[in-house]
Amino acid sequence: MDDKSKQLLQRVIRRIPIQTLKATLEKWGRLTAAQQQSIDFTQSKRALTDTVIDICEENQLSMKHITELEMINVIDSPNQSMWHALQLIDPGDDAQTVEFIQFKKQFKSHLVELVRHVSIKIKKHTDEAIWIRIAWGDSYTRPNHMKPTYAVHHLQTPYVFVTTLTSKQKPLLSQALLLSTQYQTIKEANLSGRKLTAIRDLLMKQYQQMFPNSFPSLLTETKENVPDPHKVHEQAGTASTRGRLACETFGRGALPQIETTVYKLDTKYKDPTNQTMSERSRPFKCVVKFESKNLLESLRHCATSGIVSTPVAQLLSSIPKKGRNFFYVTDTDAASSSQRPASQV
Amino acid sequence: MDTVLSKGVFSHFGLLEVQARNRLIRPQQSSRVKELKAEVAALKIKREQLKAEIQTHKTLQKLRLSVDKQSIDKEVEEMEEEFADTELLKLMAKHSHIKDLIYAHHLLGGYNIIKTNNDKAVCVSLATAYEGFYLDTYNLEIDLRSVLRISHHNIPPFIPLNSLAEQSNIQTDVKAFLELLSLHLNAYAGRKQQLKLVKEQFKSVEVMESNTLCTLLVLMFTASTKRTPVLCTLDYSDHTKSLPTRVLFECEDSDLPNSPEWKEHCSLLMETPVHKALMILRNVGDII
Amino acid sequence: MSILKPFNKLPSLNSASILLVENEEQFQQSLAEAIVKDTDFTVNVRLAKYLPLPIENEETRPRIDLVVFIINLTSELSLKSTETSLKYLDPAYFLGKVCFMVTSARVSSVPVERLDAVRKLAAFNHSALLFAEDQTPDGVTMAADRLKTILKVSAGHVPMATALYLSSLTQCTQCTVPTDIDQPSFN
Repeated sequence: MDDKSKQLLQRVIRRIPIQTLKATLEKWGRLTAAQQQSIDFTQSKRALTDTVIDICEENQLSMKHITELEMINVIDSPNQSMWHALQLIDPGDDAQTVEFIQFKKQFKSHLVELVRHVSIKIKKHTDEAIWIRIAWGDSYTRPNHMKPTYAVHHLQTPYVFVTTLTSKQKPLLSQALLLSTQYQTIKEANLSGRKLTAIRDLLMKQYQQMFPNSFPSLLTETKENVPDPHKVHEQAGTASTRGRLACETFGRGALPQIETTVYKLDTKYKDPTNQTMSERSRPFKCVVKFESKNLLESLRHCATSGIVSTPVAQLLSSIPKKGRNFFYVTDTDAASSSQRPASQV
Repeated sequence: MDTVLSKGVFSHFGLLEVQARNRLIRPQQSSRVKELKAEVAALKIKREQLKAEIQTHKTLQKLRLSVDKQSIDKEVEEMEEEFADTELLKLMAKHSHIKDLIYAHHLLGGYNIIKTNNDKAVCVSLATAYEGFYLDTYNLEIDLRSVLRISHHNIPPFIPLNSLAEQSNIQTDVKAFLELLSLHLNAYAGRKQQLKLVKEQFKSVEVMESNTLCTLLVLMFTASTKRTPVLCTLDYSDHTKSLPTRVLFECEDSDLPNSPEWKEHCSLLMETPVHKALMILRNVGDII
Repeated sequence: MSILKPFNKLPSLNSASILLVENEEQFQQSLAEAIVKDTDFTVNVRLAKYLPLPIENEETRPRIDLVVFIINLTSELSLKSTETSLKYLDPAYFLGKVCFMVTSARVSSVPVERLDAVRKLAAFNHSALLFAEDQTPDGVTMAADRLKTILKVSAGHVPMATALYLSSLTQCTQCTVPTDIDQPSFN
């Protein structure tokens, strides 16, 4: 085992929480049963790491095997880094029929063609997601396994989720993806976050959305609890309307855990009480950032309790509707705008 | 007094109030017998109520039968003497009749459409069903201003919604679009359900590969003769159907897929849903 | 857009009505539960997010004997909403039939000026200012008990005492604002 693989192994084991280490090693399957038995999982992480490294050295494992372990860990706990969503557009005729084996072969060959020194690992996870690990090198250096890029793609869907991708590598990955998925164009989906499952659920609409006509009977049943004659809500009507509108915008039940949303404003300042700012010819630039453990849930609560006016402003409702959490807001007359002018948030 | 000073006057007041409250509650406990008696009385009343409910339910069912036969008036005349509120019962019977009609309408592929957003949009829900079971319901909101635009939906991304809209010319023919979409969704739901059933019912059959749209299914099962494993690939290239367009057997024993028996199985898999076909194969004894 | 009046309806026997106004609509729920629970007289609780109350309920609404404004100190909006709601109350209410209840006063992030503003508001309206702990069940029952005591007086259930008499003793006065610093702490 060379120094590089040892270094990587050390880092991978450091990242795996001690509670799941045993299960992860079992899943990896590179240690014999006897070796696994011999490891004392109660000792400190540092000592444990040394033991595992010793065993791996004994087994003469190579970089290839270590990357396998890393991949297992990333698949099991994907929430350790920042994920960005990319969207594929303009599908070709065959885009709907691409299957795993073909995709794997094509992706590998295309990427190797673009970058000579690259190490690619592709694995299919149980829920039909394809996990791709890429260690990049260039014409002179060997692949750097310490900073791999991960990409997750569900076949037949137009979304790819990537993490740790530099701007230099992005065009290369994009091209390889386009060629192997049979799409024409790829663009930023303006959605990012630490929770991969949340981003996926939001884009794939895998959370409980609510529509005006979905189960009206169910709604009235849950709302109308047995009324207590001594406890009357005066504005019950408006409150329930607010609740309904909030649910229609953000959905019902548990919502995907989106943690931030950013609005970049580049608009004319509009405030009749502030003359100096309103009369400035240059646009007013600022960044508004919302942060929460679960932003969608917070926003839904804001709308239900009336802190945010209902129907919910387009800028807020766009987060679940368009599946984005980054917005560039300009005045409507500007060519690049996709949003209406900024409302006072 | 020292404790009062150290802990503060307000906490002492709080303590006194808690004590006062407890004293209020205690005498109530002695009247437990009374409470239990009241409970017995309440339960008895409830029993009477339930009995009455059962009675009305029975008559309602009778009425329903006659509604279905379109001869409500005759039946009602007979019952008139028995019940005072026949009018109400009649309405209830009609209500349940209409509910069933709506259900039937759904099953036939009707859409549930309502106007929203001050008549500027409609919300359509498409129910999917397979073999008489309701599966997921999908919704889409269509904006009606100037050009038709799908503003909001919960259709999974692997259903090519936009290309379907273009293909069926949504601007001029919404109905065709909805029909096509419903076809795709129902086929998808059917394939998904079949896969689920295969996984549930056949422990000996291993699902080697499948995809999100359920258009490719690779199964591995063991042929009874010689106990050889057989790889079966089902290709559903027509996305509007829940039956495969191509079935392929692969086996170490290269004669097996070409045998007349297995050729027959091949056509069976093409014509019957996969879980049913597998059931037949197992019953015949060709697979384990 | 009707103004709530204290004397335009007749009281009913052995019962009292309380109106809880809270912009967040959080604490009022648990508080209402606690108020309705084990009382020796009938208490009608009315909940509202803000005033004015809708005209549709005019008929069914009993005579309101006490109006409680719940202000969450962590929220500026809560205070602002209370200030606007106050305008829809008949002046006669301010003769002892209004009180302000402050929650989250111990949260360290609350600016000191906001508590001062609430005190000024209460003093200006000649009404009592109560502090409540809304996070613990004990705190909620305590607050409910306090309100019930005041409610009894303002509904006329206590002989020899009137709302106006009580309020002259309990109202928040402006002069307490600066000298109130060495108050014994709650545990």
